[in-house]
Amino acid sequence: MYAQFFGNFLLSRDIITREQLLSAMEKKATRRIKLGTLAMHAGYMSANEVEHIKILQTHQDRKFGELAIESGILTKEQVDELLKAQVPNFLLLGEVLVDEGIIDNYQLETLVNEYESESDLYALEYDEDPREKIETMLKQYMQAADNNINEYELLYNVLLFNNLVRFIGEDFTPIYSTVCTEYPKNFCITQKITGPFDITLYIDMPESVCIAFASRYVGEDFEQFDEYVQASIEDFANLHNGLYCVNLSNTKNVELQLMPPEIVSDPVLMFEHQAFLMPIIFPFGSVNFIFELNDKNI
Amino acid sequence: MKLEEAKILISDDSILARKQLKDVISDYGTPTFIETSNGQDAIDSYKTEKPDLVFLDIVMPVKDGNAAVREIREYDSKAEIIIVSSVGTQAQLRAAIEAGAKDFIQKPLHREQIHNIIVSRFEGR
Repeated sequence: MYAQFFGNFLLSRDIITREQLLSAMEKKATRRIKLGTLAMHAGYMSANEVEHIKILQTHQDRKFGELAIESGILTKEQVDELLKAQVPNFLLLGEVLVDEGIIDNYQLETLVNEYESESDLYALEYDEDPREKIETMLKQYMQAADNNINEYELLYNVLLFNNLVRFIGEDFTPIYSTVCTEYPKNFCITQKITGPFDITLYIDMPESVCIAFASRYVGEDFEQFDEYVQASIEDFANLHNGLYCVNLSNTKNVELQLMPPEIVSDPVLMFEHQAFLMPIIFPFGSVNFIFELNDKNI
Repeated sequence: MKLEEAKILISDDSILARKQLKDVISDYGTPTFIETSNGQDAIDSYKTEKPDLVFLDIVMPVKDGNAAVREIREYDSKAEIIIVSSVGTQAQLRAAIEAGAKDFIQKPLHREQIHNIIVSRFEGR
């Protein structure tokens, strides 16, 4: 968790391209992390020491942990602890980038340190309310993207991130959102919320990505782009927007009306009000969320 | 009444939501299912099919769930209607109960909620 922004952080620093990120995320989904990367993250080994053990491994056919213990760099207890530890998602991403030769271990060490201190990750990991953490990180993310959104719109995005984690999986990276005036769509559904302000959500993705998204959401292995797959995307929007209406009614005393979700038939979306495009990259492809906002001067 | 002999009307504009509800109910028996995807069709089907239990979504095209509850209850004051909705606000809950719904379930569906509704009304296999 909280790793969703690491890919975005790397993009914003021009360390990687969007294509490299997508490719790394695909590879990350099917691999296990190396002990050296974990030890470096835990502060037990420097990048230098990891490289040293890797060189030793080219001479001796032995496990990384064994050699690190023998070299006096790690203790057996530390190795056991690392093997049992839960792997931070962003470390796996970093490791794929190292293996691809896009960055080296020295850069990874520096980048992870910078990422963690910028997002205050150490302090966040032990905090008790994940919603607050995501809110903090999203605020930073939105400010960095220079998008002026109000309190209600921020809550909308925080809930969306939580729902993606809960219902689809936490292995995603959001790309900085951009203002959007028109958009050529793939398969796209839309749902509108009206009230003191309006939010119209569009979820757009290619058919192959729909199948993977729907499979995760419903927990079934869909194989073709059929009406159940299409309904799954609408259902996700409906669930998210429904929860948003409940949250605002309970916490802000704001009553909103939800319209039924619809499949968009126009080939190009044209927006009447300010709209933001936020691509979310999963290992199975990019899911594009567009929010059209009419704040009606609230 | 045995579940096998029952008619259950499910009205939801999502084919996925209808399938998920049918799948859960089918674990307890095999009633006759009638499906509609908007509130007006639900009213029309109620009048022709006289189902023993109705599950209605609120947010639907043509006519919403609460309007459908009112019209069905005007036609049959004993109609057993359960609202199933993703919008579980207090206001929606109140509106559904005032319209005449017997129960309100918030999506996503939880098996226990459906279990309670089915076993309290029907005998199993």
